[in-house]
Amino acid sequence: MVEHERRGWLDEITWRISRVAMVMVAVIVIIMMYEVFMRYVLEKPTMWVNEMSLWMGGWVYLSSGLYAMQQRSHIRITILYDIVPEWLRKFFEILSTLFIVLFAAATVWGGFNESQDALINWERFGTAWDPPIPAVTQPLVLVVLVVITIQAISNLIMDWDKLGHGIELTDEMKAEVEEMKRAQGITDEDIAKGIK
Amino acid sequence: MDIGTISLILLAGMIFLLAIGMPLGFASGFLAVVVLVLRFGPELLFREFGEGPLNILSQRMYGLTTDYVLISVPLFIFMATLLERSGIARDMYSSMSIWLSRTRGGIAIVTSLMAVIMAAMSGIIGGEVVLLGLIALPQMLRLGYDQNLAIGTICASGSLGTMIPPSIVLIMYGLITETSINALFKGAFLPGLILASFYVIYIIVRTKINPSLAPLPEPSEDDLTGDQKLIYGTSLLAMIGAVILSVTILRTLYLGYFDMIDESRTGLSMTQMTVRGAIVLALLAYLLVYIRPKRAKEAWDVGKGLVIPMGIVGVVLGSIYGGITGITEAAGMGTVAVLVVIIARGEFNLTLVKEALMRTFKSTGTILWVTFGATALAGAYTIAGGPTYVANMILGYDLPTLGVLMVMMIIFLFLGAFMDWVGIVLLVMPVFLPIVLKLPLDEIGVFGPFVDAPSFVGVWFGILFCVNMQVSFLSPPFGPAAFYLKSVAPPHITLPDIFRGFLPFIAIQLLVLMLILFFPELTMMFR
Repeated sequence: MVEHERRGWLDEITWRISRVAMVMVAVIVIIMMYEVFMRYVLEKPTMWVNEMSLWMGGWVYLSSGLYAMQQRSHIRITILYDIVPEWLRKFFEILSTLFIVLFAAATVWGGFNESQDALINWERFGTAWDPPIPAVTQPLVLVVLVVITIQAISNLIMDWDKLGHGIELTDEMKAEVEEMKRAQGITDEDIAKGIK
Repeated sequence: MDIGTISLILLAGMIFLLAIGMPLGFASGFLAVVVLVLRFGPELLFREFGEGPLNILSQRMYGLTTDYVLISVPLFIFMATLLERSGIARDMYSSMSIWLSRTRGGIAIVTSLMAVIMAAMSGIIGGEVVLLGLIALPQMLRLGYDQNLAIGTICASGSLGTMIPPSIVLIMYGLITETSINALFKGAFLPGLILASFYVIYIIVRTKINPSLAPLPEPSEDDLTGDQKLIYGTSLLAMIGAVILSVTILRTLYLGYFDMIDESRTGLSMTQMTVRGAIVLALLAYLLVYIRPKRAKEAWDVGKGLVIPMGIVGVVLGSIYGGITGITEAAGMGTVAVLVVIIARGEFNLTLVKEALMRTFKSTGTILWVTFGATALAGAYTIAGGPTYVANMILGYDLPTLGVLMVMMIIFLFLGAFMDWVGIVLLVMPVFLPIVLKLPLDEIGVFGPFVDAPSFVGVWFGILFCVNMQVSFLSPPFGPAAFYLKSVAPPHITLPDIFRGFLPFIAIQLLVLMLILFFPELTMMFR
């Protein structure tokens, strides 16, 4: 996959976190298969797999948003954005970054105590295995949201001179299609031969 | 401020924020803050740092992370990305075209059938359209197929991924509306097949009426004769039957050996074992004595490209419908099944897995952060009393039941033309579904099937929504399927060309939408 370029120290940090977090998807698959094997073949279901995957899943969902922010792949509608002049586009970007900041600030404002309590009291999930899911994931929601916000500000600064992409496929998506062509062993010539 | 005014500001705010190109998830999150500020006033919200009604935002987001079914989203994406980079699809295509190469419109029919099988393996679109576009489009154009027919077939069939279970649209719908995802999957099966078979029927009828739309390829040495098809076909069926029956027998033997048969896990009785054993022997005799190993091997070579994907479908759907595992484990097992096949094909390497993980991670972030933002907004709007207000307002107009449903369908179709399905599920469903649930049961559907099954209304509405989203993938100006296809189509095919090819297929989708709207029984076949 062709990734969006990394510029600046924050992109570097985001990239490193993501590299670790994305492996967790594979880990979830592996432990889940272990559970299926234990439960259906050996009849000895584990008590930790479901909760472990739930716990890791939480980290994956949250941190993947950071990666998506750094990769500029969050879903947005660019109908109007694409046709307005550049100065207005810049204004739109500032406005939307400002709103992200306000959203994050309000969320932290309202959720800080609860997260802090969960962490300090090392709150557990209340099940048989009883992992500290609330103690870890609840503060993580706020932390990741704050980092995403900083990433959004960083994106604004980094993209300042070349804002905007159209509704046509982005460069990354085009590169991805190229890779699929390669994987399927189909060349541009094959595609062109389709012409009558 | 009263909730009516807040609702209007919310609507205007959403339109504004989307127009300036703000990411949907964060726009929803910010509007959640706006709703709370308007409702409770800044003094109350910001009186003390760390608490207050704003707590709902982080609470809702945390609550979402502890939903077990949500894990199936990254797992299904992972499975689909692996599938797209392997040769499994290409082999399935060659395997299937052999059988239908002498049939009028055969390649288009193969494309549709292949799309259905791929849809039953994974639950997302995008990759599927690109894949079909890469494999089938050059072939169809080379044979001189009508361009519109080729394009429409690929994109409409390729979009079935989110209609035929497992479907990511239904998973998200189930999560948000707390509807049983298993029931949704069971209900969506028949409508999905109806849609697919209507595409196939359309292709057959169009090409029968006007054969020039789908010229036949030159006959070649490799074409199978009718006799060969019969021999190969029966051999393949015999092989599949023998394997399935043997597995059931072995399972009973295994369970019996370890003394694990009880009420919850019944084995076969002695008679069943004998009968099945005899059938297996008969099938093997047919293969070895009548067909002979040499021809059986040929049959396997012709059919294996099709049998392997069917096996993966069996793993995924079998474990869901068979009630063996939940959806999340089924996604995990499907991923492993695809990986095993990739290893067996010798295509496995670490780069492939790493790339697939990167893609999975990016798509997960994209989909789930819309969900995070929208769940915060839904939470804020609910404690502000919004859904009740909207429901009362719409019901207050005293529209006939069918009128309310029609208005909703039109709103879905309209929104679908501009917005991503995730956003619609998350933002509109919390308002619409409570209204639908309040409609008089005997007035829904021509025969009012819900009178005896009120709990099924939510399932039916989810499937109805799913068909709506099928239309949205194709509808101009932003139907994503068109953009995906454009990326792999020859340069002379323009976007307007592509959208033109969609028109008959959109008509079919609308027809099926109306069928399900008027005959909800179609979603209630397997309950």
